[in-house]
Amino acid sequence: MTITPGPPPIRHRPAQESVEQTRDGVDTEPPLLEVKDLAVTFRTPRGTVWAVRHASFTLRRGEVLGLVGESGCGKSTVAFATIGYLPGTAEVRGTIKYEGRDLMSLSPAELRAVRGSRVAMVYQDPGSALNPTMRVGDQVEEVLNTHCAAQGQAATDRVRELFTSVGLPNPGRIGRRYPHELSGGQQQRVVIAMALACEPDLLLMDEPTTGLDVTTEATILDLVTELKDRVNAGIIFVSHNLGVIARVADRVAVMYAGQIVEEAPVREIFTDPSHPYTAGLLSCVPAPPNASGEVPLLRSIPGSVYPASEPTVPACLFTDRCTIVQDVCHLEPPPEVTAEATGHPVRCFFPDQVDRTIWGAAEARTPRPRTGDAPLLDVEGLHQYYGKLRKKYGLFGPTVSRPVRANVDVSFQVGRSRTLGIVGESGSGKSTTARSVAGLEERTAGEVILDGEPLAPAVAARNAAERAKVRMVFQNPASSLNPALPVGHALVRSIRKARGVGKDEARAIAARLLESVGLDAGYLDRRPRELSGGEQQRVALATAFAADPALVIADEAVSALDVSVQAQVLNLIAKRQREEGTAFMFISHDLGVVRYLSDDILVLYAGHVVESGPAKAVLRPPWSPYTEALLSAAPVPDPDAELTRIRLEGAVPGLQRPFAGCPFAGRCPRYLGDLCDNVPPPMQQDPSTPGHQILCHIPLEELTVEQRKTFAEA
Amino acid sequence: MATTVLGSNRRGLVESVFGAVRDIGARVLRELRYALATPSGRIGLPLVALHLTLALVGPLLAPFPATDFHLADRFAGPSATYWLGTDEFGRDIFSRVMSGATSIITISLAGTALGIVLGTSIGLTSGYLGGKVDEVIMRVMDGLMSFPSLLLALLVLTTLGPSHLNIILTIGVVFTPSVARVMRSATLTVKTMEFVQSARLRGESATYIIFREVLPNTMPVLTVEASVRLSYAILLASSIGFLGLGVQPPSPDWGLMISEGRSHITDSPLIVLAPSFAVASLVIGVNLLAEGLREARELPEGEQTE
Repeated sequence: MTITPGPPPIRHRPAQESVEQTRDGVDTEPPLLEVKDLAVTFRTPRGTVWAVRHASFTLRRGEVLGLVGESGCGKSTVAFATIGYLPGTAEVRGTIKYEGRDLMSLSPAELRAVRGSRVAMVYQDPGSALNPTMRVGDQVEEVLNTHCAAQGQAATDRVRELFTSVGLPNPGRIGRRYPHELSGGQQQRVVIAMALACEPDLLLMDEPTTGLDVTTEATILDLVTELKDRVNAGIIFVSHNLGVIARVADRVAVMYAGQIVEEAPVREIFTDPSHPYTAGLLSCVPAPPNASGEVPLLRSIPGSVYPASEPTVPACLFTDRCTIVQDVCHLEPPPEVTAEATGHPVRCFFPDQVDRTIWGAAEARTPRPRTGDAPLLDVEGLHQYYGKLRKKYGLFGPTVSRPVRANVDVSFQVGRSRTLGIVGESGSGKSTTARSVAGLEERTAGEVILDGEPLAPAVAARNAAERAKVRMVFQNPASSLNPALPVGHALVRSIRKARGVGKDEARAIAARLLESVGLDAGYLDRRPRELSGGEQQRVALATAFAADPALVIADEAVSALDVSVQAQVLNLIAKRQREEGTAFMFISHDLGVVRYLSDDILVLYAGHVVESGPAKAVLRPPWSPYTEALLSAAPVPDPDAELTRIRLEGAVPGLQRPFAGCPFAGRCPRYLGDLCDNVPPPMQQDPSTPGHQILCHIPLEELTVEQRKTFAEA
Repeated sequence: MATTVLGSNRRGLVESVFGAVRDIGARVLRELRYALATPSGRIGLPLVALHLTLALVGPLLAPFPATDFHLADRFAGPSATYWLGTDEFGRDIFSRVMSGATSIITISLAGTALGIVLGTSIGLTSGYLGGKVDEVIMRVMDGLMSFPSLLLALLVLTTLGPSHLNIILTIGVVFTPSVARVMRSATLTVKTMEFVQSARLRGESATYIIFREVLPNTMPVLTVEASVRLSYAILLASSIGFLGLGVQPPSPDWGLMISEGRSHITDSPLIVLAPSFAVASLVIGVNLLAEGLREARELPEGEQTE
């Protein structure tokens, strides 16, 4: 890579340093990392990419700096640029000082020496960070051998010590396992142990919890917060999730289009944002309901990130999306001013005008009470097994292969024009339920009744009218649209299939549908890859709506989207429901989103319903112990939020064998003993709310009392 | 998925196939344009174009008719009259090489096309339907593949008897299993994608999904497979000609020319070298073009958009 110290690309005012000095005036030791006027460009065949336009920050030992922003804002590039870990096409400008030494002036060999044992990294996907053919203990030992000269017994002891320190149970035994034998959370712990092996000074964590379940995420975040006090390292923590940042960071730098637009201690960022973008990001995240059970409004940031392929212009780069934009914003780059109210650096002309209300409000949503009408969808005793019980007599004696029981006796209802939220960890049977109802998987047993008529198990066996009634929206917007065909293909095709109209009429209807999701008719002939993720998902929604379905199943439909566009999609769902009376099954691992949208909630665990009922009732005690753990784990975008510290270890158990007792017994924080292991728990009806039911041995009154107590203690 | 029935109404089928053909045509042109931007493509495409021109108008451009004997000039060396000399019957080698392009190129193109069409249909259907259907089809294909291709070709040809059509059929049959295998694995990746599930939800027939939704997404694999197959087809067709089971004398055929000329190789090497060079340059051209197509695919997406 080429490191050319040069003039800063963007005008920089020394406001930031003076602030730092006044705050830490007594500190004479140089900070661990001092980055000034950092700019990174990549030369690609397509042209220059301005990945980082301007970033300045300092990092001290024992401090966690959170880097947050939408995708494509340059967060990861900043983190990796600080240690010169970028591909050869990168060009870096600015100064980076590591304990007072200028990294830019070091030779590649010196740079490697600094990097080798002093810096460690934790990536998003622990599965690909570990070598699948080596025992995990050996992998950590190898790091010790090569980078910190620990050999033999000393190294082996150190591995155990590291495994203990990252909270891996039974370190000796875990060390002898291969990566695939560990759960995702355990794998990430091994990766963290490996990163800590040589006691690094600087730890880079790039979205370390993004691929994990909320329950696992919570335990990893606990580990990170605990580590920062124990290891004397500076941590740069990159995440797109404000809830995660709120939990671990001491200071937060918000990045937009390659610039750090605001940097402040975590509490100030969340309580008093001074940049409109920060305020926008905050109001895009569904917050928990207030004391009276009302869910705060959800907002969205219009448009998309200023593209990295565009050169930096002498203006504020946020103007296109900003709500408080004025003429001056278009004319010159905003200075890095210190907001008078807060005293931290902000790249905005009008920091004093910023608060959360500058962003457009979403639809107010209050869960609707149940009506006495017959439900739209009635699912009774749904079973979904994959494979059959088979006995084989092979070379090494008889073996038994058992079916995977993805769903066991799942029953629920979806009311007309209502939203049923389905939550649970991965492996809990959420998607299986959705696919069985839609007919993409043929159910093993059970009844699916729509509008009083039973539906055939396979979609191919249903008639046109039945097929038109149930449609799905999928998680991955990029693969929901056929990349080889124009965007409008599936949309027009759906309309023609469902309404039997001609091509021209279908196109006219398609244009109207696109309009209803905020896109113009010109999108019909564009290619899917020309659209942003949010646009693709809106087309997918329009396609699902094309047949005028009575029920739309949204399987993790917003999980892959940036928070700024999540709200747009959620609002479209709410609007469709209000205007057309469409019912939704909304599946998500994100409780915040489910809470925002749902009238009723269904909690699944290992293919069993553990709790269901009206949203309000499910979200307050009594909870099933599993719901309680899920709620406790969900990240909340508020650093002051005190959370009930219930943590689940491990993962959803294997689904081959039937459970003798409660499916959740193995991980339950309120585990009673033999009773839970051996006796199937009763489905208890909550007398205070009709329709609210909980699968647990513990009497509901007792659960309520215990859970209120836990909440009060926190 | 085994319960999905193949397209029941004929209009749907016509629509699916017509749409697919139109799409493929447009994509092939686009792919060729990208290939021209790569070094391999810049050499390969003109070479292939030259041979294609020969195939179309070679016999018209040739100085002599390919089968005319000039008995006075047997085994003549290169001269102003006979640019590459003459063979044992005094036939002009240059004219024979030029005229020979037609048969080998039409045979290998048609044979490849047949193999690709059969293999793609079988592979896509087998991969998309899955289950027992897939199992049966693929085991049959494995059976066919276990014969060495030349042996299988000779077996079919000796049964059917040598003729242009039979050589084309033979090449098609020989190529079907390997094309089917490649296309099946491409289908397995595409069929799990969510747009295929959307299509199933809106009630599309399996035929429609296979040809209209899945096929266009396997085009990158298909173009590379087709160009690789084409170069094998040329080699196979010349081998068949060399063994005397292909185009019959006195028609000019490169494989046949090599076979006939090999007894005179020490006296008059050009009789063998000229057709050999023709075969080699065609195969190299096709291979380079295939390489160019593959490289073009690896360019960043922005470079490919029109």
